[in-house]
Amino acid sequence: MLEDALEHLIRGIVDHPDDVVVRVRQNRTNRDSRGGGKFNRDMKLFEVTVNPEDLGRVIGRNGRTATALRTVMAALNAARSVRIDFLDANEQ
Amino acid sequence: MTEKSTKEELVREGDIAADYLDEFLTIAGIEGDIVMDVEGDRAIVAIVDGELEQLVGKRGEVVAALQELSRLAVTSETGSRSRLTLDIGGYREKKRIELAEIGTKAANKANQTGEPVKLRAMNAYERKIVHDAIALVGAGSESEGEEPNRFIVVTPQV
Repeated sequence: MLEDALEHLIRGIVDHPDDVVVRVRQNRTNRDSRGGGKFNRDMKLFEVTVNPEDLGRVIGRNGRTATALRTVMAALNAARSVRIDFLDANEQ
Repeated sequence: MTEKSTKEELVREGDIAADYLDEFLTIAGIEGDIVMDVEGDRAIVAIVDGELEQLVGKRGEVVAALQELSRLAVTSETGSRSRLTLDIGGYREKKRIELAEIGTKAANKANQTGEPVKLRAMNAYERKIVHDAIALVGAGSESEGEEPNRFIVVTPQV
């Protein structure tokens, strides 16, 4: 449900909505392989893949759009923290 | 933003944002009705009549986030920039009334004492509301200082 809401919010603001894929990674307690930071048990991680042309659009100037998406998802998921990673389709 | 939008374009902006938000509410399982209006050169969209506290957030942060996303949704359909205002659960309206009161009080004080009155730093949106309230009382006002510390100085009526 949460990931559907996120997918909807993103599909509405990109040029290639059919390329938007949202995956959920949750309850990982190991270290984040890329960032090196620790995962909180209760953190919800969304992995968002978009068309390369839309990556700038979903991140926005100074990360403004990414922050807005994170704020909304955190509001829907009040009990847990939220993290969203953005990938372009070529990075998969 | 460079050209004035016609009323028709603003109504369309409201429609696009309302569809975007309506579907969002449905998926998120949040009850609420959406109302639309055009005020001056802006489309106004409001989510009302629901348990909306979680969609307001601390100091309206979720309102601001959903407004930003709604504007982007409009832009991606119309190709032109949107300045639409989103209100949720009456948050902006309540804030607007508080700001207008600040302006009215400061204007009365300036007129009564004959002395200028300095107000706290505000963003452009807040200052606009306060300037309008001051003008309505019949005092003068100017913004001074640099963003983000720009503030209004109210001057007595001459």
